[in-house]
Amino acid sequence: MIIGNLPFLTVGILFLIGLLAILREKNMIKIAIGITIIESAVNMFLIVLGYRLGGDIPVHFLKGEVDAMVLPTPQALTLTAIVIALATSALMLSVIMLLFKHYGTLNVDEIRRLRG
Amino acid sequence: MNWQAHLPALLLAVPLLGAFATPLFSLGGKTLRNAWFIVVSTFVFLIALALWHEVSVSGILVYVMGGENFALTLPSGMKYPVRIILEIDALSAFMVLAGSITSMAGAWFTLSYMDRFTGISRFISLYFLLTVGMLGMMVTGDLFNFFVFIEIASVASYGLVAFWRDKPQAVEASFKYMLLSQVAAMLVLLAVGFLYGKYNVLNMGALGSVMQMGLVEKFALAMLFSALALKCGAFPMYLWIPDAYAEAPASVSCLLVTVSQASLYGIFRVAFSVYGLSMTNSVVAWAMIVLGLLSMLIAVSMAVVQHEVKRLMSYHAISQTGYMLLGVGIGLLVLADPQALAEYGFTAIKGGVFHIFNHAMYKGLLFLTAGTLFYMTGTRDLNKMGGLIRKSPITATMFLIAAAAIAGLPPMNGYASKLLIYQSSFAIHPFITVVALVTSVLTLASFVKVFQTAFLGPEHKALVNAKKVPATMIIGMGMLTVAILLLTFFPTWALSNLVEPAAKALVDQAGYIAAIMGGAF
Amino acid sequence: MWPKVVSGFGYWDIYVWLIFLAIACFFTMWLRNTGRQDYKEGTYQDEIYFSGNDVPEDGEDISVPADSAYWGFTKFFRPYYDFMALFHNGLAQDYLGYFVVFIAILTALIVFI
Repeated sequence: MIIGNLPFLTVGILFLIGLLAILREKNMIKIAIGITIIESAVNMFLIVLGYRLGGDIPVHFLKGEVDAMVLPTPQALTLTAIVIALATSALMLSVIMLLFKHYGTLNVDEIRRLRG
Repeated sequence: MNWQAHLPALLLAVPLLGAFATPLFSLGGKTLRNAWFIVVSTFVFLIALALWHEVSVSGILVYVMGGENFALTLPSGMKYPVRIILEIDALSAFMVLAGSITSMAGAWFTLSYMDRFTGISRFISLYFLLTVGMLGMMVTGDLFNFFVFIEIASVASYGLVAFWRDKPQAVEASFKYMLLSQVAAMLVLLAVGFLYGKYNVLNMGALGSVMQMGLVEKFALAMLFSALALKCGAFPMYLWIPDAYAEAPASVSCLLVTVSQASLYGIFRVAFSVYGLSMTNSVVAWAMIVLGLLSMLIAVSMAVVQHEVKRLMSYHAISQTGYMLLGVGIGLLVLADPQALAEYGFTAIKGGVFHIFNHAMYKGLLFLTAGTLFYMTGTRDLNKMGGLIRKSPITATMFLIAAAAIAGLPPMNGYASKLLIYQSSFAIHPFITVVALVTSVLTLASFVKVFQTAFLGPEHKALVNAKKVPATMIIGMGMLTVAILLLTFFPTWALSNLVEPAAKALVDQAGYIAAIMGGAF
Repeated sequence: MWPKVVSGFGYWDIYVWLIFLAIACFFTMWLRNTGRQDYKEGTYQDEIYFSGNDVPEDGEDISVPADSAYWGFTKFFRPYYDFMALFHNGLAQDYLGYFVVFIAILTALIVFI
């Protein structure tokens, strides 16, 4: 049972690693990397959901019989999610660059002018 | 074929066209770009009005994107819907109306507020994208599509909050907002993945018809509720709101209020129409009530001591969201019990839903008046302002109307929705009503403070040359004032024609499912 | 639990409120008109009374700033606000920490109750 669920365990471990990175790291670039790790974990979860044992690709145009195909919908969902993750990572990194220009430091504990 | 059937698709297509065609129109000069901005915003408002009328006449509207027939939800004899379906019931139409009014008012306000800054064509594109994201969140009937629209709205708002990139505080606010919001969005996607993996449907109506509570569904419910509660500003997760709303330009703050309400709508949709009566325990309902109470009281106590105008108002936005969570949470608590639902649960839901509309109107107006104060004096700090009623009595009157509405002074519309919440929460436990009343008093206190400090008092020498308020800004604020006054003078019409269908649509899970599945369930 | 939450009176009516406001305005204007009209503008009769001191030229010196409003309330609740300032400390990772703790508690409650 563990072998069959190994991809899901990997997803969980990746998600926790990303979450730990966001919560504990002080360098803002490392926090951004943590967010991309979380996004990769969720994308991997979506793809792994759709896998069927011994399944063929969902668009079958070669000769021969297939008895199982992997699900195509999670692949479409993952493509959308990857594009969204790309856009937000790009925006996040450019905001971090702007913050470095303004504050002079990449330490997230120094970015505290707004409080109370 | 009548054109009213295509209104859902038009609602999303028109602002999207506006967003992508704006750089083209700004090549023709400032006036052409401004005219395009106003024309598209007005058109969106008219579509929203026509849509609301259509829904109130013919019931739930359904639109299938990309199929051979736009009304065929179950094509070729399939058992479950396979395409992205927009489903607009009375609650969606109600929220779309509120969102389009705030978007239009913000558009008019931006014309002269942001006049002296460059890059306004990109601002307008992002503004339209934010409007599309918000409207999409409210009309979609598909969980993954809901996630996509959340991300569209979020990414547009990250850019808009950080619009004044030369201010370090604005970029810092955008970074913190981005961090929290991305984690929340990933949790939403994870929950959608869980539900899809178990049931192989993404459509909210189809999911509601096959849902049976188990461990997976409980996890998904917890993740969806927490992530959407972060996006709308409930108690432990509201900390990004004071920063982001304060540092964004005023018209963006006005629109961001309704974007947060769209996440609140998401919570209601998931709790009532997807899960509905299949929830085995009432933890989510009690969580909504407790979060509502804590948000109300803690946010308003923080708001009384602020000295920056927009930060004060954004704390009030959090506190009013607490009222909505409280009202609808009480309704969710008694959903399974028809007698209690008829006695006080339905009133609570009506109060919460009406409060959403009222809040969008008066909070939008308050943010726009704060923007006017910033425009006139160049500062957001209340310690430096004073005696501004001489410079702009119109702004002071509008501020007074909005402050009376938010404090729940009779006879304003805020009083009507708050009274419904007080009455129904008294039936659960009187302590809840006491907390809500204390919050109302503290809200009044903080707005009396703002009005007295900013508008009344002697004239400051430094503010003798305060800038005159331009006409388009007054028009923008005037639209929201007219909406507040209409709701104040015609409360019974508003309650029976706007709010009651919306509240009925919320509790009617069977109707929501039947519109998709074709009455088979 | 109370059996009826609506008292049955008809909970509020806009026209009654407007009539009430009209009567209140009438009383206010009547009280205002009982003042004297025969003062001379520009002389000492028009000046504000500043406890016998000289009135400063700039209005900024007379006005009460926003931070001093409700000072009694703020002074009484100073321990509460100091505690709240620890909560709103501006660190992004603390904000995320509150969210993670909340979602953990909520999941535990939903799954096990």
